[in-house]
Amino acid sequence: MKGAKLIQVYAKVLNQTEIITNHFILRIFSPEIVKKAIPGQFIMLSAWKQKDPLLRRPFTFNRLFPKEGSFEILYKKVGKGTEIMSYLKAGDQVSLLGPLGNGIKFPQNTKKIAIVCRGIGVAPMLAIIDKAKEKGIDIYAYISAATKDLLLVKKEIKQKAKSLYITTDDASLGTSGKVTDFLEKTLKDTKIDAVYTCGSKRLKRHIERLKELYGLNAWVILEEHMACGFGACKGCACKAKKDNNHKGKYFLVCKDGPVFPIDEVEV
Amino acid sequence: MKKVDMSINLGGLQLKNPVMPASGTFDLFEDNNLPYDTKVLGAVMTKSIFLKKRLGNPLPLICESTSGLINALGTPGEGVEYLIKNKLPIFRKANQTVIVSIGGDGVKEYKLLAERLDKVEGIAALELDLSCSNNVDNIIIARDEFLTEQTVAQVKEVSTKPIIAKLSANVTDITKIARAAQRGGVDILSLINTVSAMAIDIKTKKAVLGNKVGGLSGPAIKPIALKMVWDVAHTVDLPIIGIGGISNSEDAIEFLLAGASAVEVGTAALINPLVMLEIIQGIEKYLGQQGYSSLEEIIGLA
Ligand SMILES: Cc1cc2nc3c(=O)[nH]c(=O)nc-3n(C[C@H](O)[C@H](O)[C@H](O)COP(=O)(O)OP(=O)(O)OC[C@H]3O[C@@H](n4cnc5c(N)ncnc54)[C@H](O)[C@@H]3O)c2cc1C
Ligand SMILES: Cc1cc2nc3c(=O)[nH]c(=O)nc-3n(C[C@H](O)[C@H](O)[C@H](O)COP(=O)(O)O)c2cc1C
Ligand code: FES
Repeated sequence: MKGAKLIQVYAKVLNQTEIITNHFILRIFSPEIVKKAIPGQFIMLSAWKQKDPLLRRPFTFNRLFPKEGSFEILYKKVGKGTEIMSYLKAGDQVSLLGPLGNGIKFPQNTKKIAIVCRGIGVAPMLAIIDKAKEKGIDIYAYISAATKDLLLVKKEIKQKAKSLYITTDDASLGTSGKVTDFLEKTLKDTKIDAVYTCGSKRLKRHIERLKELYGLNAWVILEEHMACGFGACKGCACKAKKDNNHKGKYFLVCKDGPVFPIDEVEV
Repeated sequence: MKKVDMSINLGGLQLKNPVMPASGTFDLFEDNNLPYDTKVLGAVMTKSIFLKKRLGNPLPLICESTSGLINALGTPGEGVEYLIKNKLPIFRKANQTVIVSIGGDGVKEYKLLAERLDKVEGIAALELDLSCSNNVDNIIIARDEFLTEQTVAQVKEVSTKPIIAKLSANVTDITKIARAAQRGGVDILSLINTVSAMAIDIKTKKAVLGNKVGGLSGPAIKPIALKMVWDVAHTVDLPIIGIGGISNSEDAIEFLLAGASAVEVGTAALINPLVMLEIIQGIEKYLGQQGYSSLEEIIGLA
């Protein structure tokens, strides 16, 4: 956020759970960071002192607990860095840089929001849902995954959402259709003030179509490879959409995002 | 412990201490939100600038490799007028010594940029990024003795500021290029820029970077850079700024002992924004503990 100084701190791990194979929730104690954090923002994390891996890794806030001075990240083990992270236990130390990027902001007088995501793309959504609840905003959730086990934090979302729609590619839970078809059904008789989605190409494309049809306010939360996370390296560029006067323009996902109006960026 | 003199004069460029950012790895936005006071740095350095706006290379632009970072950004930027109007005031506020790095598509562009920037207040020196690939004939200036000499000479003709020539590691004999820059009249040498490199994804069986090839930086290149600084220091009598993989004060001190009078820090500051501050403090402490009263005393001792 503008004006706020970057914070670099060592922080203690409170606990870590493997919720399903290769998917972890890591809870970290860092009052300095959580005090300033906004859903949609992220941290750069390092759990290694050696030079390999070298770079920090970016993770969004899955849940914020300002009263407890802690936060959670939800991550999938995919490579070198997340493998090392998967061994973290209570009391271990990690180095954090954050909170980074621009978080979400509900439009004025928001009454109802929708979250639409797939797989690990759900990572920033619980924090958004919590924030919405706090403000008395109704939540409509549309989540999809390859199979039912990969519908992460489904229980928590179900507790908090007014309605929850699910699709799975193998139809192990819900139908195997497009989750955005359910959103479209909702839109026919309900006014949704803001839609938040993850960087899945397919979801983004469908929501853009719905935006055209129903005049939605919609935001996408992007991921890009990052060396710094704070605007110094220019490595996290993403293409701005050609229309909107953005021809040939790039945004930095870390500094201009990671939350973008859906029709501003290409995925 | 008595106070150590950390200041250094590099061919007319006076620095209060020898530590500054490497071009392209440091930026300030309207809010300069770095977690320390940037005034403590020896200088601040802009990303290499061109006359016109440049978009850079196809995505992805960066990837990690063992103890290193490979980038193929293609030096995106808004162009020199934007820099003068929007960036310089912020850099000047951040530090009294501002070095502007300039790129160029051929000798002419360096000269035009130097000419333009000579009229601008508040620039302490220019660093010539001679490693940009030249779109016209695909020749990289820093790989050619004649072009290096010519570029420096043309820039010196129009500029009253101290000129730093930044050398490329991707050459057969860096001391020859260093000598060529000296013949052109350069005031200071900085080295090295990134080392040519690539990464291949064995799942997709394709190069990882959009540009396929890029430049390696970070700890992986430190011993290479150190040797090049040592070689050049033993060949050319010009002040040297050492660059390449410097991640802590021990690394920086190695470069000073090899013959560098100052250092630039790139990749390490992307990971730890406080690292330059730690390096300044670490050098000062080392000098004090070793009984030196000034930085100059250890330059080139190795
Ligand atoms: C703003 C942001 C928020 C993120 N939030 C989450 C989250 O909450 N949960 C989660 O599981 N993942 C998240 N990611 C992706 C996560 O950062 C990567 O999965 C992680 O960096 C992989 O590291 P690794 O060393 O295990 O993988 P490796 O493949 O070994 O990593 C090699 C390099 O590629 C980078 N990289 C690999 N995959 C990605 C990716 N998808 N996005 C960005 N960089 C990548 C790494 O950071 C590292 O620099 C987020 C990414 C961004 C940009
Ligand atoms: C992301 C990135 C961008 C860079 N951009 C430039 C640039 O615009 N001009 C330049 O002369 N060097 C550029 N460099 C090279 C650095 O200035 C430096 O020479 C190199 O990274 C080695 O130092 P390091 O190992 O400390 O990073 C860049 C390096 C990185 C990693
Ligand atoms: S990650 Fe370095 S500029 Fe965005």
